[in-house]
Amino acid sequence: MKVLLIEDEKTLAYEIEAFLKKAFYICDMAHNAQKGLEMLGMNPYDFILLDLGLPDLDGLKVLQEAKKLNPDAAYIILTARGNIEDRILGLDLGADDYLPKPFSLLELQSRMQAISRRKFNLNTQEINLGEFVLDLQKRVVSHNQNEVELTRKEFDLLSYLLLHKNRVLTRMQLSEHIWGSFADDDYDSNYIDVHIKNIRKKLSAFGPVEWLETVRGVGYKIRKH
Amino acid sequence: MKLISKLTLFVTLSKLAVVLLFVFTLPYLIGGIARDYTDSYLRQQKEKVLDIIAQNGVDTYLQGDQSYGSYTMLKEEYISLEPVENNFNVDTIYTDERIIENDTLNYRVLTHAFLAGDKKYLMEVGKTTATIDQYNRPLQKIATYVLLGLILFTLIIDLFYTRFLLRPLGKIIRTKISNRKFPFNENSRPIKTTTTDFRYLDMSLINLMEQIHEAFEKEREFTANASHELMTPIGILQNKIENLMGEPELDQMVQERLIGMQRTLNRLKRIVHSLLLISRIDNDQFSKNESVGLYEIFLDIEEEISHRLIEKEITLSIDISKSVTLSGVNRDLIFQLMYNLVNNAIRYNKQQGSIRIADKMMDGGSCIITITDSGIGIPEEDISTIFNRFKKANKSEEAGGYGLGLSIVKSIADYHGISIELRSEVGKGTEFLISFPSKLIE
Repeated sequence: MKVLLIEDEKTLAYEIEAFLKKAFYICDMAHNAQKGLEMLGMNPYDFILLDLGLPDLDGLKVLQEAKKLNPDAAYIILTARGNIEDRILGLDLGADDYLPKPFSLLELQSRMQAISRRKFNLNTQEINLGEFVLDLQKRVVSHNQNEVELTRKEFDLLSYLLLHKNRVLTRMQLSEHIWGSFADDDYDSNYIDVHIKNIRKKLSAFGPVEWLETVRGVGYKIRKH
Repeated sequence: MKLISKLTLFVTLSKLAVVLLFVFTLPYLIGGIARDYTDSYLRQQKEKVLDIIAQNGVDTYLQGDQSYGSYTMLKEEYISLEPVENNFNVDTIYTDERIIENDTLNYRVLTHAFLAGDKKYLMEVGKTTATIDQYNRPLQKIATYVLLGLILFTLIIDLFYTRFLLRPLGKIIRTKISNRKFPFNENSRPIKTTTTDFRYLDMSLINLMEQIHEAFEKEREFTANASHELMTPIGILQNKIENLMGEPELDQMVQERLIGMQRTLNRLKRIVHSLLLISRIDNDQFSKNESVGLYEIFLDIEEEISHRLIEKEITLSIDISKSVTLSGVNRDLIFQLMYNLVNNAIRYNKQQGSIRIADKMMDGGSCIITITDSGIGIPEEDISTIFNRFKKANKSEEAGGYGLGLSIVKSIADYHGISIELRSEVGKGTEFLISFPSKLIE
């Protein structure tokens, strides 16, 4: 997957690049609109991550121009302006998603994965996890064709952990993913623990769940090779 | 009172006053005119008589008598000549009563002493004034009718004309004042009128609104910029920490420290978010044209927040009529308002506590929502400051929160014209009363 990141804040751009490279994306960077559009004209990209607050051209105009150059790519708007109008305009202009800054890189990857599933149909729909199979499209977990009944939030938690497999996710990161801006301030509370406990209970009725690990004092992770 | 009514009233009254004045002074006027006419008539008669005497001598009248007197059949006019002393001089006109054949009549009398030969005579020419007075009353009557008719006629013309004249003013009020909503986003076109005053008023209003709009836009731009300036470094830090957390060979201690940093950063993020939200609400940057059912809002909140209810084993009862619909509101903001209140009701509640949400329709169409919890309550002295920014009523560690939740509630409520009251008893619980004015209820 080839990603073009158009972001004028260099420090931020390097962090995003480092993260995406680790997640096996090929990432190019442009620090202004002109450069970004130039690169878009020369190379095919699957993802364009576009900051709206560029110094040389209004982000929404860049989006319009870029859409002409590469209509097939997936566009994700990154912005710190936070206007609701910008969001609506961006999505109207054909952006696939919108992430208000500051955003979590984990969340970015999750959104990108959701888009590739939706748009490119590339990712494998079914993922093996121990003795279980996760169907991300249908949003079901099954064990030998038997469906394990999980709530919407439980499934979200599991697939988020799976997307960031082999990485410890903190309770805060998990609850921000599930509840978004409505995640509560008191992170030490154990909603996530309760959910994880429920997931373990429901799954272990069918088979072993040793791949879902608790990292003491930090959070949870899924171990998968 | 509207300008057109005032103008019409004033014009009518002034016209009426003028007419009344005229009708009442009419007898005097007519009297004066008649007297002038009579006087000049008498003078003409005098000249005529003097001419005849000068040509034919005074005997034409006297016929040998000492004096001469004659009046017309109806005693309307008379003339008399009689000799007077030689040094007697008079030449005047006056009104006098004369008794002629038992009739007392008012006469306008001209007396004139003149020499004829060597003798002096006094001539009197008289004309009754009774005929003049007879006309006064009918004249007055007719004048009144005619003038009232004229008033009515001119009034109708005035009314149409003022209405035509004032039409631009009405248009200015309609298009520039009563139907405009802050912050005057849409451009307004000048009204077509040839009246310079209205044109001036119109241009002034347009300029004023443009200025307000510009100031508002600047404020909005500032919020957007401030948001950008504050959020970008927070974002950089957050992503740096995330990347660091992803390093495989981190030991437990470093990971825990990083989580601590992340937590603090998140707190900062939340505060900035809340402040920007409040500033956006205060700057009127949200549209208020959505309709939303209150019951649905609380169902959504319940779904969003159920994990916290379960954790604290709190029973939530929503006793809201499904038919209560708000209109002219911002759905997200109303959701946020209610969410924050319910969230607080959970946060400051006891384990196995309860929360009750109920509605009550009031006379006049307003609606009060009550959110009652069985929580720790708020001390009397804190109630007045509870909506203040950065004032946290309960400072206990376990309660958490950073004091902006209720400030957001207050801003949203003010923005929609919703009033919020609260009753609380320490140790027993708190009750929030949210009153929606009737204009927000569909």
